[in-house]
Amino acid sequence: MERIGDTLKEIWAYRMMVRSLVHKDLRGRYQASVLGFLWTFIVPLCQLLVYTVVFSVILRSQMEKFYLYLFVALIPWNFFSACLTTGSGCILYQGSLVNKIYFPREVVPIAYVTSAFVNMCYCGVVVFAVCLISGVRFTFAGLLCLPLVMLEQYMFVLGVTMITSSVNVYFRDLEHILTILSMAWMFMTPIMYDMSMVPEKLQPLFRLNPMTGYIMSYRDILYWGTVPDAGRLAISGAVGFLVMAAGFAVFGRLKRRFSEVM
Amino acid sequence: MAETLEKPVVIDVQHIAKQFRVYEDGSATMKEKILFRARRKYEVHPVLRDISFQVRKGEALGLIGVNGSGKSTTLKVLTRILYPDSGTLKMTGRVSSLLELGAGFHPDLSGRENIYINASVFGLSRKEIDRRLQGIIDFSELEAFIDTPVRTYSSGMFMRLAFAVAVNVDADILLIDEILAVGDAGFQAKCFQKMQEIKAGGTTIVIVSHNLNQIEQICERTIWIDGGYIRKEGRPRDVHPQYLAFMAEKELANRAADAPEDEERTGTGEARMEKITVLDGEGKERKTFTPWEPITVRIDYTAEKELPGAAAAVSLYRGDTYLFSADTLADTAEPLKLRTKGALELCIDNLPAAGGVYTLDLALRRSDGLEYDHIRRAAEIAIAESAQAGGIFSLKRSWRHTD
Repeated sequence: MERIGDTLKEIWAYRMMVRSLVHKDLRGRYQASVLGFLWTFIVPLCQLLVYTVVFSVILRSQMEKFYLYLFVALIPWNFFSACLTTGSGCILYQGSLVNKIYFPREVVPIAYVTSAFVNMCYCGVVVFAVCLISGVRFTFAGLLCLPLVMLEQYMFVLGVTMITSSVNVYFRDLEHILTILSMAWMFMTPIMYDMSMVPEKLQPLFRLNPMTGYIMSYRDILYWGTVPDAGRLAISGAVGFLVMAAGFAVFGRLKRRFSEVM
Repeated sequence: MAETLEKPVVIDVQHIAKQFRVYEDGSATMKEKILFRARRKYEVHPVLRDISFQVRKGEALGLIGVNGSGKSTTLKVLTRILYPDSGTLKMTGRVSSLLELGAGFHPDLSGRENIYINASVFGLSRKEIDRRLQGIIDFSELEAFIDTPVRTYSSGMFMRLAFAVAVNVDADILLIDEILAVGDAGFQAKCFQKMQEIKAGGTTIVIVSHNLNQIEQICERTIWIDGGYIRKEGRPRDVHPQYLAFMAEKELANRAADAPEDEERTGTGEARMEKITVLDGEGKERKTFTPWEPITVRIDYTAEKELPGAAAAVSLYRGDTYLFSADTLADTAEPLKLRTKGALELCIDNLPAAGGVYTLDLALRRSDGLEYDHIRRAAEIAIAESAQAGGIFSLKRSWRHTD
C-alpha cells in the first residue's frame, strides 16, 4: 500500500501536467477551426436536433419529451463511450512522451478522461438550457446529487480507461474489439428505452451493468426532477471506486514494460 | 578530488541487468496469442548484464560505447523509462531528461502555451513555471514570436524554445542524450555555456554521446560500456584513447572479415614476401597508432636466387586515395640486391595522418619494372585520434590570438 501512496503523491506532483494535457486537448482540438470552441456546443445541439426529428416524426415514442429523455442519458454515455473506444489508445498516442520522458504514466489516462469529462460538463450547459426550456422542474436536493453522480461516473470511467489503455499497449486488437463492445453496450444500457421496458427476468442482469445505475440517476435528476435512489447512489459509488482501484492496480502492474513494446 | 568525495551520492546504480525480448515477427496479434501461444518464438537479448556505478552531487559523467553497447539503455533506466530486470537504482532529487526536446508540443498552440505544456511534462507546478517563464523566453530569443503558434516556427526556432525549457527546469540531475547540436553556432555556444553554468550550479549531469570532445569538455569521468558491462571507468583523457584504439581495431577486424579472398597478388614469384609486419618505435608489432608516432614496415622475403637489380616499394592509401610512396630506387638511387632470404624495413619517423584506417601496398620488382611480387592491401594500420575536426593530415599546430 506504501507504493500506491507514493504513486498518488507523484501524480499529485504532476497535476500541472494533467492540467496542461487537458488544456492542450481541449484548446488544440478546435484551435485551427473557424468556429473554434463553439463546436463543443454545436455538436450536442445538432445531435439533439437529429434525435428530436427522428423520435417525434418517425419513431414516435410514448414517452413525453422523448428527445430530452434521450438527451440527458446520451451526453453521459458519450463521455463513457469516447473513453472506452479512443481512450484505450491514449498511451499509444502519447508514445513519443512515454518513450522519452519519465513521468507517472497514470497522468496520461487521467488527463484523457478528465478532458472528456470537462467536455461533458460543457455539454451539460446545453443540457441544462434544454431542460429549462422544456420546463423540467428540478428539485434542489436532486441537483445537489448531480456532482456526486458525476464523480461516481468519473471514477468508473477512469478505472475502465486505465485498464483498457494499459492492456491495449500489449494487445492492440483490444481497441477494435472495444469499438464493437461499445455499440453493444449502448443497447444493453437503458438509453433509448426505459428500464420498465426490459423483461422482468432480464432486469437483474441489466442492473449488473454499472452504466445503468449512472444513467438512471442522471435521468432522475435531469428528466424526472427527483432525487436519485440513495441505495443506488451508494452502490454506484462503491462500484465506481472499486473499478478505479482495480484500474490503478492493473495499470501499475502493466506500466513497467510500456516502452519496451511501443 | 577530495572535495568531490565528500559530496553525497545522488545516483546509485547497483548490478543492473536488462533483457529485451525480440520476437521473430514483430508484435503479437490476437490470432497468434490465442492459437500459437506455445509456438511464438522470441529471443532473449541481454542489453545490460551487470552495470554498477555511483555519481556524486555536482559531478558530470559521460557514457560512451559503440551502438548497441547498452549506453542508451543505461540512460533510459536512469530516466526510469525502462525498469531493470534486476539490480537497484536510487536517484535523489528532481530528474530532467534531455532525451527528447519539445515533448508534448502542440503545433497549433502558441510558444507561451507550449512552454507551460512542455515544462509541466518535467513535473513543474504552475507557480514554478510562472517564475521561470521570462527566463525561458529570454534564453530562447523568441520574445517577438512567443504568442504565435509554434507551427509557424522554423525548426531552429522550435528547437531553441524546446532547449530553453529543458535547461531551465533547474533539475538536480540532468540526463542528456546526444542533443547538444541545436540551432546555429551562436546558439550552440550558448547552450554549451548554459551546460557549464548548470554544472557549476551543482546539478549532476549524465551525458550519452558519440562526441568525445563534448564529454571531455563537460565531464570529469567517463564510463565506457561494452556488451552490457562496464569496460573502463576513469578520467576522459585516460579512457577515451583506449576506447578510440578499440574502435579502430574493431574497424580493422570488420575490414579483414569483408576483405576479398583474392588479395590481388600479382608477380612472377621469383621473389616472394613471406611476412609483412608493422612495428612501433620499440619494435613491437602493432596495428593501431596515434598521429606522429614512428612506424616501421617490415617485409620478410625469400627469393629463388639472388636478384641484384631489384627494388622495393611501399605505398600508403586511405580508401582509394593514394597518399604516399617510398621506393628504394627513388630514395637511394641505386638498385637493391635481394638475397635468397632477408628482411627489409621501411622506417617512417612520424606519420602525420589523421584518425582513420590506412592500407599499404607492397611490391618487390626488377628495377626495370617487372613485378616479382606485388600485394595490394597487404597491411592495414589504424590511426586513433580524438581531437581533430576532420581531414587526412594531422599537422602539429597551435592557435595564436592577437589584436
